[in-house]
Amino acid sequence: MDPIIEVRDLTRVFISRRAKITAVDGVTFDVNKGEIFGMIGPNGAGKSTTFAILSTLIKPTSGSVKVAGFDVEKDDESIRKIIGVVPQQYSLYSDLTARENLELMGNLYEVPGNVMEERIEYYLKLVHLESHADRFTGRFSGGMKQRLSVISAVIHDPEIIFWDEPTTGLDPQTRQAIWKLARKFNSEGKTLIFTTHYMDEADKLCDRVAIMNTGKLVALDTPENLKNKSNSATLEEVFIHLTGEEIRD
Amino acid sequence: MAIRSELRKSWIIMIKEFKQIIRKKALIIPLFMFPIIMIIFFGYGMGGTIKNVDILIANDDTGTASSSLVQEIGNFIPKYGEVKMFSVTYTKDISQSEAERKIDAGLYKAVLLIPHDYSELIANNESVTLTLLTDSSDTTSSGIIINFMKQLFATIPGPPILLNIPDLYGKLEYLDFLTPAVIALTVFFGTVQSTGYAIAGERQDGTIVRILMTPISRGAVILGKTIHQLILQLLRAVILIIGATIILGVKMNGSWLLVALVLIIFTFGAVGLGIAISAISEDMTSFQQLSLFFTLPSMFATGVFYPLSSVPDWMRWIAYTMPLTYANDAMRIIMVKGQGLTFIAYDLTILLIFAIFYFALGVYLFRREA
Repeated sequence: MDPIIEVRDLTRVFISRRAKITAVDGVTFDVNKGEIFGMIGPNGAGKSTTFAILSTLIKPTSGSVKVAGFDVEKDDESIRKIIGVVPQQYSLYSDLTARENLELMGNLYEVPGNVMEERIEYYLKLVHLESHADRFTGRFSGGMKQRLSVISAVIHDPEIIFWDEPTTGLDPQTRQAIWKLARKFNSEGKTLIFTTHYMDEADKLCDRVAIMNTGKLVALDTPENLKNKSNSATLEEVFIHLTGEEIRD
Repeated sequence: MAIRSELRKSWIIMIKEFKQIIRKKALIIPLFMFPIIMIIFFGYGMGGTIKNVDILIANDDTGTASSSLVQEIGNFIPKYGEVKMFSVTYTKDISQSEAERKIDAGLYKAVLLIPHDYSELIANNESVTLTLLTDSSDTTSSGIIINFMKQLFATIPGPPILLNIPDLYGKLEYLDFLTPAVIALTVFFGTVQSTGYAIAGERQDGTIVRILMTPISRGAVILGKTIHQLILQLLRAVILIIGATIILGVKMNGSWLLVALVLIIFTFGAVGLGIAISAISEDMTSFQQLSLFFTLPSMFATGVFYPLSSVPDWMRWIAYTMPLTYANDAMRIIMVKGQGLTFIAYDLTILLIFAIFYFALGVYLFRREA
């Protein structure tokens, strides 16, 4: 397989006045080109920190991360050009219209004007927001915001999409729509990496799943193999088996 | 029972509100400090008197009558004050135009010209006229000095002592003194608040993170926000000045370009301060209170509403640490006195130092927090 993301011995330490916390502790894995890769783990497992490092938002303390051959520490701007990030928070400008939000992102990614216009029309239709294109997003429902947030992240046609908890708080219909969208992007050759707390989501959607616990990578395989290895019927059972039943803060 | 239950729930809500406010440290200080700060600054600033104001007395008379007059002026201590009203410099043989230039340069708030025949005229029981030049761009100090001199001369026994008081900068009112500083104050408050709100708000909404995940540098984000503020604040200033001249008859005696130059440099610093405050604020509420903590003292301490000559020395020193003091001064020099670049060079230099410091601090904190 052809790895598009290579993570080697990644460590991230946060030092505050009160404590020193190792959020990610010597993690090594690859994400293959064109796969849907899920990162799951209990609260404080280190998945959000890993996610933030891969998407160039924060720097690692040690270890190396390469995204499409670019080093996250040295070539972060090159990486940002080829990735799209869908944050957990919708992160839309509520006093701009849906179209203006998309244009803003397109312009920041330097998408040519005519291409951008076509893409905006295409994506708005794809997520059934074409009739709301010129409405302020502050008046949108959660599902509408999430759909718009997703297409804002792909307006520049990225190779890799980072997706943070894509369906948290959404109704079943919107969840289905988001999954469909993820599969569609994947069928176009894009690599998808997402974090989730929903085991069924990881099971149904992901080619491979990485399970993290207390900053370490405790398992990485296809959902089927993970279930078979621990004789579990569901991914949730595998998850509890590997990370324990203790509630995390 | 229903009322009791409702009251109990209200009590629970009240306790929750107190817990929240006590845990927001940024809120506590301004909440209790502001009234104290306001009382102190307004109390001293609006005291209706002036202290240690630099005046020049050009006494061309060699007789005894003028020397006792000069002594009385130099030693005068206001009724409820502890320090002399004037810090007097003595000279002789200067022309009125030379005296005007000294006031223009900001060296003295007033120059009193005593004619060579003062003692002789008094001795002959003839009326005598003295010329009093005041820096009328500071309408408050000027008014107090004129009133003081008139009252003093009225109490001196003998023939009438008259005062010739030329208008150096035209007929000026308190509004002419107030307006340039209010414009600077508006720009300062507006810039700090709107820059900070934009950043603190974007951080709360998560939009700033999204923007920073695109191929844009943090410097470009700050530059975009700064240019937006510069245009917005200059536009506000132009509208305010035009409005004040048309509606209130306020004088605009100087160059628009110089006003723009002062406000551009000043706005740069205020943008930096707004970014710095928003970077260290936990949320929007903390930003509101912290920004007031940094901006509100400027409003009272920097001589927007009253001249710095009317405040105690310790308060004047506080004012000298605040950029708004220099912006007020420069705006008054341009708008009221109609003077040029040389006269605002000192204020501009200080404003530039503040601007570089605050902007660098803002960029540093934004980069660190972002």
